[in-house]
Parts: sequence; C-alpha cells; structure tokens
Amino acid sequence: MSTAPLVSIEGISKRFGKTVALEDMTLDIAHGEFVTFLGPSGCGKSTTLRILGGFETADTGRVILDGKDVTALPPERRAVNMVFQDYALFPHMTAGQNIAFGLELKGMDKGGIRSRLEEIMTFLELTDYADRYPAQLSGGQRQRVALARALAPDPALLLLDEPLAALDANLRAQVQRELKSIQRRTHKSFFFVTHDQQEALAMSDRIVVMNQGRIEQDGTPEQLYFQPASRFVAEFIGDTNLLEGQVRDLADGEIVMDWYGRTLRGRSADAVPSRNAPVTASIRLEKLGVYTDRPDTDNVVPGRVVGKTFLGSRMLLDVAVDDAGEATLKAYVDSDHGRSLGDAPLWLGWDASGMAMLRD
Amino acid sequence: MNRGNRVLLSCVYWAFVLYVFVPLLLMILMGFKDSKFIGFPIRSWTLEWYQGVFADTEVISTFGYSMAIAALSTLVSVLVGTWIAVLLEGRRFRGRTILFGLTILPALIPGIISAIAFRIYARGLGIEPGMGAIVWAHAVHNVPFVVLVVMARLSTLPKSQVEAARDLGADPLISFLRITLPYLIPSILGATVFCLLLSFDDFIRSYFLGGYEPTLPVLIFAKLRSGMSPEINAIATVALVLTAVIGIWAERFTRRQARESDA
Repeated sequence: MSTAPLVSIEGISKRFGKTVALEDMTLDIAHGEFVTFLGPSGCGKSTTLRILGGFETADTGRVILDGKDVTALPPERRAVNMVFQDYALFPHMTAGQNIAFGLELKGMDKGGIRSRLEEIMTFLELTDYADRYPAQLSGGQRQRVALARALAPDPALLLLDEPLAALDANLRAQVQRELKSIQRRTHKSFFFVTHDQQEALAMSDRIVVMNQGRIEQDGTPEQLYFQPASRFVAEFIGDTNLLEGQVRDLADGEIVMDWYGRTLRGRSADAVPSRNAPVTASIRLEKLGVYTDRPDTDNVVPGRVVGKTFLGSRMLLDVAVDDAGEATLKAYVDSDHGRSLGDAPLWLGWDASGMAMLRD
Repeated sequence: MNRGNRVLLSCVYWAFVLYVFVPLLLMILMGFKDSKFIGFPIRSWTLEWYQGVFADTEVISTFGYSMAIAALSTLVSVLVGTWIAVLLEGRRFRGRTILFGLTILPALIPGIISAIAFRIYARGLGIEPGMGAIVWAHAVHNVPFVVLVVMARLSTLPKSQVEAARDLGADPLISFLRITLPYLIPSILGATVFCLLLSFDDFIRSYFLGGYEPTLPVLIFAKLRSGMSPEINAIATVALVLTAVIGIWAERFTRRQARESDA
C-alpha cells in the first residue's frame, strides 16, 4: 500500500450567499482510516462531506482522490459512495434491487452482480431480506441495506452522513460497534459525519472537530478528550471543569497558572501562551481525585462538598473551593465513597498531565 | 362540537347529496320510461332506448371519436405537463414565477373565450376544423392540471433520492428514468384520468373547433335541438356510468400507489 493519502483536501472554501460554510480547509485521509467530522450544525462538516461526494462544488481549492483531481467531477464519476442520513433507499425497489443498483450502473454482468450481491448481503446479514421493500424493513435493517448499497460498488471512500441519527438509543450503541467492525474488516476509509461526540469517541481512529467552517482540532479520540486544544473542543466533547486564570510561568513543557492565588500546573496541546496572559484550563471530572488528607499530586486545592448527584455506579460531586469566590469543581467518585463524604473539609488533587491549557 | 352543530352539519351534508344526486337519478330514470315524453308519472318501463343507443351507429362512432380525441389530447398534455413540472419544480431561476403563471393560465381562461381564440388562431394558421384542432385545444387546456398534480408529487420527493442514484453511478437522465419517474407514476396516472374525463366532457372547444363529425357532447346537443327524448337520457347514462367507474378506480389506484411508496 502506498503511503500517499487516499484523499487530499487542499484549501477548499465554500460560501452560501454571505454565509461562510468552509474556510480554507486542508486535510488528508489515509487508506483504511475511520475519520469522523464532529461539530454542531452549520459548522461545515456536512458541506465537506457533500464536496467529497460531488454534490457541492468548492469555491476554491482541490480534492484529490487516489492521486486524481476529482474537484470538478459529478457524483456518478467518483469512486466514492454515501450512506445518507435518511438512507434514501429507493421505495419501488426491493432491498436486493437497491443494493444491485450501483453494480448495474457499473456495467457489471448478471453473474457478477449476483455473486457480489450474495457476498455483500451475507457479510451484512441481509440475505433474508433481499426480496423485501424498504417499507417492510425496520429502521436498523434499512440502515444496513443503505450501508450494503454504498459498499457494494467497492468505493475507495465511504461517506456516512449521520447514519445513526434516526435509530433509537439502544440500537445505536450496537450499530456503532457493528459499523466499526465492518470498517476494520473491509479496510476501507470511512468519512463519518456526526454531531454526537459519544458516537465519534466510540468509533473513530481520528476525529476532526469543526467549528464555523474551520478545523478546531484534529487528533485521536484520546487526544481530543484528554488534551483538548481549545475551549470549544473541551466543552463540546465530554464534561469538563474550566478554570480561568493567568499564566505565571512556563517551564519544562508545563504551564504554571495562577488561579485564585493558587499555583496550578498543566500542559498545552497547542500554542504556548505568553506570560501573564489570561488562560483557561480544562480538567476532566474523572481526573480529579477526592481525598480526606492532603494528597501528593501536582495540583491540590481544598474545598467542601456542596452537592451530590447519584448516577448509579458513581456519584457526581460539586465541590466549593475554599477562598475561590463562587468557583466550584465537579468530580466523579465511587458511589460508596461519595456516600461516606460529609461536610468535612476535603482535598481535590490532580496531576499536571491531566490538565489541558486551552487556546480560546 | 356540540349536538346542535352536528345536526346542522349533517343536514347540510345530506342536502348537498340530494342536490347533486337527485337530478342525476331523475335523468337515469327517464331513460327507462316507455314514452317519448320526459316527465312523471312513469307508467311503464322499457329498455328500448338503450337498445336504440347501442344499435345507433352514429352514437357508437361518435363515442369512439370522443375517446380517440381524449386519448390523443391526454397523451400530449401528460407529456408536456410532466416535462414542465420537472422543469419548474425545485429550481430557482429568473422568470420561474412568470413561466409558472403562463403555464396555469389556460385553466383559468373562460372556455368560450379560449374556444373563440383557438378558432381564430386555427384559421390564421390554416388549420382545418376537426380532430387535430380539437386535440390541440384540449391538450393546451389540460396541461395546467397535469403540471399542478405532478409538481405537487415531485415536491415530496426527497432530494436524497436523486442524489443517491447519482452517487451510485446514474447520470441525470438515468436517475430521472429510474428514480424520479417511478415516484411520479401515481400522480401521472391520476392526471391522465383527469385529462381523459376533461376532454371527453368538453363541449365548447369541441363545438367551436370541430368539423362535420361531432363529439359525443356535441351530438347530444344537436339531438336536444330536435327535442328532448329518453334516448338522450340513455346516452348520458352510459357516459355517466363509464366516466364514474374510471374516475373512482383511478382515484383509489392513485391513493394506494401514493400510500405504498410513502410507507
């Protein structure tokens, strides 16, 4: 396999009237990679997907697919297939006819179509439904037919436009695992678009967080979760504590900040801020340790429990920090541990590696 | 809704039913009367008038002539109307509103005016009165109905359907033929029956643009001038039963198709 990327998006921009949908976006997708575009509605993730599919034309920039410039090619001439949000199954064709549609148009002979159909329907466990019409299938089955139809012509890149949004919560978790395993077994590049951060974390090799037509951060799920580069990413993915303070010192790859007169240490995934500049730090709830005695961690603050929320296996604590105005930090503890905590003073402690200094 | 309102509403409904169906019923009854004079009382019954209708070669051939005109004009209006609907729906271009207005206009012009206009225009163009002229006038008159019905259906076709077809390798023509057209079939069938009935039923355009051969409504009109007779009732009843059966069948078929493809 070549080391050249499967897809190169080179500086594409797109405007709809006065609205900027995409601003000078550049991105590579590797062979066999599961890339998720994550962001709120209107962030440009769907526009990127539609430009890759050929349904929109970029105002500037180029799209290179497998070494070929496909920027100006219509959808039917790209080796890219899409799973639509509403699945877009053809209502007057059976599941089998839907899946065979792309194969027929590729000019495959009857025997070839039959064996490919057999293969893909077995692979996705659809053989029992070949003769049913979309109206006779459940939501999950339709979703699989849509996936089979898009995979059947053997595209270089599969585009998925929030294909799980219409499924109910129980089914969704199961389909997430299936989708990830299908992607692994087919070794295809998946370009997945969603606004659901949990979905993105569960399936992706790589997540690209989009905001207002620009890439906020591009990294593995772990990087994005534990080392968010910006406030937007920290807040969009998971729950977090945000601490606003001032940069006091920069040393050994660590940033030392001042927060209500206390010294806290953290790391930055992105640009290093300058001394004395205001800075926001993000620390995940589960990274905060709750101690009755002063712990030996990089960062320590004293406080008092002011709220408890029982969540089953764990408990969410609201801890008011001493001498920090209205500031409270949220932390997760084991339920048994949480129950034993009273009004007595306690300590919150965490290591520098868990705290991310954000760019705004 | 309170009781008084319900009673009032059902009274209005039944009054409407009587208002529509009593005249038709009377017309049908008179077709079976064993006397030349229309009116009550009916002393004895006969099928003689119906035998007369089916034996009358003029009536039979006129019937065929009207059906041929209906079929031809419908073919033209459905083709042109569907084409215009596809052109207008879902696109934004300069002059779209004007084009749409012009398309709908023929349905709004009073029949007598459009009939006279057609007559003058046909003479100007050197078109002989007769079948061609009638077909032309009926087709123009019926196009707006096709456009409206097909456009309404087309506006409910999700954009992703055509995009999915394109994505899977269909060029615009193939995706129209294999995805859009099948989706439009119920509306096209509905429009077809509606056009057939409109054309079959038309008197004014057929009268002004016809040659020596009358269409069925024109023949009935001609026969009326020589005096009302139960034979006319019999002809009208046959026509009524035929159009009602076709209309009801088409309505049910269209609804079933639409339901299936939406499910």
